[in-house]
Amino acid sequence: MNAALGGWSYALARLAAALVAGSLLGWFVGSYWAGLAGTLAAYLAVQLHQLYRLDHWLRNRSRLDPPDPGGLWGDVVVQVVRLHRRKKFHKARVVRLFRELRRSTASMPDGVILLNDESEILWFNRKASELLGLRRKTDFGIRIENLVRQPEFSRYLAAGQYASAVVVPRKAGEDSWLSFQAVPYGDGQMLLLVRDVSRQTRLETMRKDFVANASHELRSPLTVIAGYLETLATDPAVPADLRAPLAEMRRQSERMTTIVEDLLELSRLESSDEEVAGEPLDVAGLLATLRKDVLARPQHPSEVRVAIESETRLVGDPGLLHSAFSNLVDNAAKYTPAEGSIALRWWSDANGGHFSVTDTGPGIPAEHLPRLTERFYRVDAGRARATGGSGLGLAIVKHALQRHGAELEVTSVPGRGSTFTCHFPVRRLLAAEVARRASA
Amino acid sequence: METADLSHHISRRFNEDLERVRGKVLAMGGFVEEQLAKAVTALVEGDSVMGEAVARDDYQINNMEVSIDEECSRILATRAPTAGDLRVIVAIIKAITDLERMGDECEKIGYIASRLATQERPADKYREVKHLGRIVQDMVHDALDAFARMDAAAALTVARKDRFVDEEYESIQRQSITFMMEDPRAIRRALDVMWVVRALERIGDHAKNMCEYVIYMVHGKDIRHIRLEDVESELRQPRA
Repeated sequence: MNAALGGWSYALARLAAALVAGSLLGWFVGSYWAGLAGTLAAYLAVQLHQLYRLDHWLRNRSRLDPPDPGGLWGDVVVQVVRLHRRKKFHKARVVRLFRELRRSTASMPDGVILLNDESEILWFNRKASELLGLRRKTDFGIRIENLVRQPEFSRYLAAGQYASAVVVPRKAGEDSWLSFQAVPYGDGQMLLLVRDVSRQTRLETMRKDFVANASHELRSPLTVIAGYLETLATDPAVPADLRAPLAEMRRQSERMTTIVEDLLELSRLESSDEEVAGEPLDVAGLLATLRKDVLARPQHPSEVRVAIESETRLVGDPGLLHSAFSNLVDNAAKYTPAEGSIALRWWSDANGGHFSVTDTGPGIPAEHLPRLTERFYRVDAGRARATGGSGLGLAIVKHALQRHGAELEVTSVPGRGSTFTCHFPVRRLLAAEVARRASA
Repeated sequence: METADLSHHISRRFNEDLERVRGKVLAMGGFVEEQLAKAVTALVEGDSVMGEAVARDDYQINNMEVSIDEECSRILATRAPTAGDLRVIVAIIKAITDLERMGDECEKIGYIASRLATQERPADKYREVKHLGRIVQDMVHDALDAFARMDAAAALTVARKDRFVDEEYESIQRQSITFMMEDPRAIRRALDVMWVVRALERIGDHAKNMCEYVIYMVHGKDIRHIRLEDVESELRQPRA
């Protein structure tokens, strides 16, 4: 600051001195004004020359060394050089950082695509272009849905439910699969992660096929065994000491049949993720049947209450819903002692329709609740075998509900009992009067 | 460069309208691609449920065509587009007709697939049909890609592929005739397969048409009924 001030005062003093000298010279010569004007003109010429040199240097900065005119102009040149150096340093740092960033995302094992708020492609890495056939030169600014046209992907983007990924065939009809996961950020922009999941998808398909085929193959021999055991159990020629083992064999073969049937049902349910269409269903009638089934069991809870609080019909597949509901009611009946009670309830509100089964059984400790719908998951292995379940009931319930867009909620207090509630979305409901009008 | 023209429009709303319609056309194309894939899979794997689903879902393609058609008429009436924009609209109106016909052919294949699923499958498991299906699927996919990118060069490449489809069609036809002569009981099935192959060949033709619209849209040249070699040399000349 002081140096700059010094430079300025020095320049002013020099100008004043030059003017005085010029006018003195003019006064000697006889024309005072001519001297002054001549000095000013010379001064202006010098300044213009310096300005020209500065301009020339700025224009060809890359090739020329900075001029050294000294004085005020010299200060300006020094400032410019300093500014330029600082800028270059920052720029180099930013460029380096950007290059590192780009290199690291480029070498990511997953495809990465950046989309703006119009879902136009802003940037993508090498893996993404490999997986989707995107081209670096032409594809910036094109809407992603125009190039990734699988209807399911468009639905995923439009729905805005980005909690989970969507898996679509890479090209329609090919046995290779891509998973897309959208991550929204900022103001409507989006990060799209693409992964090749062909292997996982194929393994999953193989697993499903295997379970379905194995259960199917097991069914016929089991039928034969069960048939012979049944005949033997009623055959008077069988010695008395073999009767107990035979009865046990018969019970176990029945259990195996149940497991195989449940596995088949489950693989049927799993074969598709699409929601079923179905027909309007009279929930009251269904619950009345289920109640009768419970009371027909040799050992059953003394009280089975049914509360129908809504006349709304449920739209769904009758077979699937019957299997889901009866599995829940069966479970409740199995785990509730004879002096306990079961309550079935159907009601609807703004959120949709709800069906709940409440029992007064032993309840389920909280740590088991999240894993309850896994196949063959046992809260208490010893007990479950005694009740003769297949261990697949709740998995079937979960899948049957999924095919209706519904969810299962479990609440339980150990020692007091459990409540299993099915929540159906509003689109699965049909008001009673509408149903009546439709059938009329 | 042509894409840049599209996005630098005086009227932002107009530009958005055009982009939306283009997006709808490509969404329709995506659905047709899926239908085609399902139809071929249904035939090759003997999946009658899938075949029926394809035949049933064709109405969605028809609905899309009607809706895009309406939107195009509205744009023509209210915005009076000229030059490149007009070509885009004209090309879209033509393209959706072809897409809708592709959908109809898929419906046909799906229907035949669901019928053939109940019968015994031939020893070669429709390998030839599967192969032809693959070529046609690639053609449709690449044609739609060219449409999305406004890429005339790619469109020309796809259009040239139509020759392979025709060759493949001929070869399957010869093969079917042999089957029919060998075993008259196979005639019924061979005829059905011929229908499918014919439908696939038609879909290839429609894909080729789409490519012609892309070239028309980008270069403003109508290349229908002109030999592809001539088209290429003409396009290579600098534009007036």
